Amino acid sequence: MATLVEDPRLDEWRAEFEAAGRRSLRTRFRYAFLHTYKPVLDDAEYRSFDTTADYREWCARHLPPWLGYGPAV
Amino acid sequence: MARRFEYAQAEEIRDVFARHDVRYLFIGKSGAILLGYPDTTQDADLFIEKTPTNNAAASRALRELGFELTGDQVAEIERGKDFVQLKNGPFDLDLVFAPDGIEDFEQAWKRRVDVEGFPVCHPDDIIRSKEAAGRVKDREVLPRLKAFRDYWLERNR
Repeated sequence: MATLVEDPRLDEWRAEFEAAGRRSLRTRFRYAFLHTYKPVLDDAEYRSFDTTADYREWCARHLPPWLGYGPAV
Repeated sequence: MARRFEYAQAEEIRDVFARHDVRYLFIGKSGAILLGYPDTTQDADLFIEKTPTNNAAASRALRELGFELTGDQVAEIERGKDFVQLKNGPFDLDLVFAPDGIEDFEQAWKRRVDVEGFPVCHPDDIIRSKEAAGRVKDREVLPRLKAFRDYWLERNR
């Protein structure tokens, strides 16, 4: 897979990666996992889809666009 | 609504899935976080090998973890779905049996990374799946995730 991303934010990102690397996995977990309510998505306790494409289509049709689950144009 | 996902719960997944011989990999942003990627997410995504034996083992392991699966839901998981979203347990969990961009579990398994006993998809596979999914939220994260992949590869040469 191609490597070497070029982005003006690269130095900032690498500093963040270095800092994360100095933390234990347990600490990284504490910072990484959040829980906020996501409308529609969080309103059912169980959903299943025969195909991943069905799931993507359901997300695009039913979730508010600002959640970001729809297709990138 | 479930509480946020915690390290101890990831350990429970690891230990309970191991007891039930479930073949799985952490994937998505939760997988990247296990590899050291600094970001935030809401739930864990598990790529489960889709075979009748493994599906049945996964449903047994999920019930042991505290997911309140009905008989119909167990039957669905055992029969084989491509995507199952669980919010009926101690934490939210997405079970991905056929992630976009990854042809088969065995290839991803061969490329896996072990992080303190957690089986995790290789960063290239996490990137492939996000590229193939093509969602707004994936496209936003990809440049930084690719930069992390480059950093991770340098560190793990």
